Amino acid sequence: MNDEQKKSVGEDVMKAIRAGQVHMRPRWHFLLLSALSITGAFIVFLTLLYVTSLGLFFLRDSGAWYAPSFGVRGWFSLLHSLPWLLILFVAIFIVILELLVRRYTLVYKKPLVISVIAILAIVFLGGLAIAQTPFHRTLMLTARAGGLPLGLTQMYGHPLRMPPASDMYHGEIISLMPNGFLLSDEDNGTTTVLLTPDTRLPYGEDFTVGERVVVVGDAAATGTIRAFGVREIDEYPSQE
Amino acid sequence: MQSETDEQVAIRVQQGEAEAFGELIERYQAKLSRYARKFLFETEDAADVIQDVFIKAYENIQSFDASRRFSPWIYRIAHNEFVNALKKRKASRTVFTFDIDTLVPHLTATDTADSAAMERDVRAALEAHLQNVSPKYREPLILYYLEDMDYKEISDILHIPVSTVGVRLARARRMLKDVAGTDTNLI
Repeated sequence: MNDEQKKSVGEDVMKAIRAGQVHMRPRWHFLLLSALSITGAFIVFLTLLYVTSLGLFFLRDSGAWYAPSFGVRGWFSLLHSLPWLLILFVAIFIVILELLVRRYTLVYKKPLVISVIAILAIVFLGGLAIAQTPFHRTLMLTARAGGLPLGLTQMYGHPLRMPPASDMYHGEIISLMPNGFLLSDEDNGTTTVLLTPDTRLPYGEDFTVGERVVVVGDAAATGTIRAFGVREIDEYPSQE
Repeated sequence: MQSETDEQVAIRVQQGEAEAFGELIERYQAKLSRYARKFLFETEDAADVIQDVFIKAYENIQSFDASRRFSPWIYRIAHNEFVNALKKRKASRTVFTFDIDTLVPHLTATDTADSAAMERDVRAALEAHLQNVSPKYREPLILYYLEDMDYKEISDILHIPVSTVGVRLARARRMLKDVAGTDTNLI
């Protein structure tokens, strides 16, 4: 660019400004954009929290969350019970959130992996805290009673809620037997659970009628399971 | 002698003193033109792009936060305009692909103290071979060696982590060495 061109560029820009051909956008325009961007990021963050806590609630409610206390087999049962569709949603919302906040110094100064891990940690801990409350259980029971709009009702049913692993059962103990107990599931069916000397009982075998438990085991006969591991499912504060 | 800082001039423009924008053009035109010339390598194109940079800067000057430095702000606008100009030249699409360097943390120093010999060799190689370095690596070279910016400023302009600036500069020097031959002291 020679001196003539340089002079011309500066003069042309100033000429256009003086002639009113170029307009300065008002400050409120940028404030509005920032507000919309922050609001959008906040909504995406809340959605992430909701979806994550829903996934953790499903795992907790089905007992899959507790299966790792039975050892390696329990970990595999948990893996097979993960709500993959919800995990996909979480991944998509994290990408959206990252795109919304990437222009902020605090975020672009850090490698992507760090900000994604930070978002994941916050969302996981927040989701875990929400999953400890009766929030989702109340909504799920209301949904089952038809008290929620269709969209929300679907959130608490299949396919978002993955069926638990094929060797995993959960339900309420309806009667105790000398070598096990009778378990009722959500469909009011019953299953006999046999305890053997090899059954892993990380929290002991003092089971009581009415207690909700998760069982990992193999079918021994029709309606009977030989338990590999049994433990109680923690109840929600309002149910204690 | 400049009695006012760039930020003070920018505040005057924000307050409606449009003529003060001429002062900012005066201060940045030569720098941005050099940046454009080295980055785009097309004189005609560069003049048009520089004009667009100043128009964008004027239109968006109310978004400038006067508590921060003006220089990285206007260079960021220039960077965006240059990238758009390169996008229009279809051959340079590779500049805009996802950059894995920004993904993971790098354990590189956040600034380097180049030896005088290395500095001299890099500058000589830049003059002769810059065009042969891809735009992604060409840009930090220009900003660091020709515009005398530090890693933090480059990070603010390119919106990449400071450690990534170091990685790109190291790779860029290696590329320069490859294209310049082995009789240089670039790394």
